[in-house]
Amino acid sequence: MRQFVVQIVCFILVMCAAAAQPVLAAVGCDLNDADRDVPRLFPDSTGYKTVYLSIANRGGAPLLRKIENRLGVTYLSLYAPIDVPYTLYEVYRDKRKIGYIHGVNQKGQFGGIQVFMSQDLAGRIKTFYLQKITGSSASKFREAKFARRFEGVTLRDFDSFDPVRGKGTGRISEIVNPSPELETDFYGILRGLKKNLVLMEEFVFAPERGKP
Amino acid sequence: MITPFQIAYKNLLRKKARTLLTLVGIMLSTWVLVSLFGFNRGYEAALNRDIDNMGYQLMVMAKGCPYEAATLMLQGGKGLRYMEPSVVGDIAREPEVAQVTPILMQAFFDPNKGESGGIAGFYGVDPASYPAMKPFLRFRKGGWFHDSAAAEVVMGYEAAELEQREVGDMTMVPEKNVPLKVVGILERTGSQDDGTIFVPLKTLQRISQTDQITTIGIKVKKDADQEKLETRLYQLKDVQVVSFSQVKQTIMKLISTARVMVFSIAIIALLIAMAGVVNTVLMSVLERKQEFGILKTMGAMPLDIFRLVWSETLILCSLGGVAGIGFALLFARASDILVRRILPYAPSGGLVVIDLQLGLLTLAIIMSVGLLSGLYPAWKAGSIRPLEAIRGE
Repeated sequence: MRQFVVQIVCFILVMCAAAAQPVLAAVGCDLNDADRDVPRLFPDSTGYKTVYLSIANRGGAPLLRKIENRLGVTYLSLYAPIDVPYTLYEVYRDKRKIGYIHGVNQKGQFGGIQVFMSQDLAGRIKTFYLQKITGSSASKFREAKFARRFEGVTLRDFDSFDPVRGKGTGRISEIVNPSPELETDFYGILRGLKKNLVLMEEFVFAPERGKP
Repeated sequence: MITPFQIAYKNLLRKKARTLLTLVGIMLSTWVLVSLFGFNRGYEAALNRDIDNMGYQLMVMAKGCPYEAATLMLQGGKGLRYMEPSVVGDIAREPEVAQVTPILMQAFFDPNKGESGGIAGFYGVDPASYPAMKPFLRFRKGGWFHDSAAAEVVMGYEAAELEQREVGDMTMVPEKNVPLKVVGILERTGSQDDGTIFVPLKTLQRISQTDQITTIGIKVKKDADQEKLETRLYQLKDVQVVSFSQVKQTIMKLISTARVMVFSIAIIALLIAMAGVVNTVLMSVLERKQEFGILKTMGAMPLDIFRLVWSETLILCSLGGVAGIGFALLFARASDILVRRILPYAPSGGLVVIDLQLGLLTLAIIMSVGLLSGLYPAWKAGSIRPLEAIRGE
């Protein structure tokens, strides 16, 4: 018994020390001001919890391959190795969980795009928020009327549309690019949204349904 | 044959909880002490490294607060005042000067950053003189600009990571909407260069519609009299001189105030731990009065009893000290992160540097102070009169 306690204490100490190491691998994607942004994206929320997830600790190389297959690209993102931390905000109303906010970095035409989306517990997009995008007419992508086009979108909507090739049918194909000169950014946003949806499916919804 | 150390060890095990609490006290004070020593050494080394990475020892800029300006420079700041580029020639003619490089720092408002917009900083450097001042910069991919007025940028590693840029990609100067091509991405340096976007000076001047500069970096010749040069530079009109040795002294002065306070707390913690040692060993001595009396009647000398009790102090201090150093080593990175969050300016690199030499020095201090604390209980035990002790029971 004593040996077991000693082993547990040693394990906890090693884990604490390892967890304290500064992350030098790659930048994740966090909300700049979560206390302000979470209530804006979820007006009926009263609190949130931040959870850090990575492909490395959720399934490793097999999960990475699975996600890449679903996305149709061989790499998730530039500067995003398997251990890059993804930040998940679990949103609460009092003690009841009401949804999630998750964001990813995506390569854009003139700089990185930070695509955040808020989702209800069934995995439907409530709204999305571009925290960062660069370009002369990039502000058009940040307009509310563009974000409204994605309300209710689920991962299933991307089954009939490929944002890598920019081809397909269905609801996503009907969304018009508000800034035609920034086509790379338009498809970058769509790829970012799909990446968000796939990661949320693999990190949260599939494990919740008991299908790892 | 059983040794005094073995007897002392068994005595400590008689009251496990008391011994454990004393050990925890010693361990915690050792942990604080060694971490402080590590910070004392690490902070200065990190600051020196940051200043060396600047590539120059002196900085000249338009008049304003020199310390604010220097801190802004160290943190890759913005918002400095302008000065005429002709000052560069004036400074280059000084005999103590080895190299000079003009710099223009500019900040542009990016409305598409965050909820209500943000600032994007660009660092205009002279391709002919700046790379020569920073020969330690290594490229992950690509290289420096192709000409002095090219529409190109070189990105620090973290800047490229945030902007998701590769060599050959385009980037945009917000507010001005000027596209620039990425021609180089630097290796990670652990300094402010990691988050910097370098642009050829002339290009940034053209974008900003100015022919002025914000800063001049000066590399002083080896063995040259830097103070003499500084005095002459002060005579130049409307400029101020910032010496990194002065900046370092100022930062170290600010840090030393905090350091004195924390050292005082560490000494108080050490004294409390040692009071715990005295209490534990003295209690043990008083509880074993009769035992010591019997030992004396059997022929034990006062020095034998003294050594026996002193050994208990030695065991407590060495075990507690080693455990404290172990914890300090294990949690050095956590301490580093904590210190970094508390301090208003923390240089890059490790702030808490603990090595074997520092560990042994702390252990020696803990053992010395501990053994001094153990003198009274050991003397008390050694001076017990055997008959009184036995009768007293």
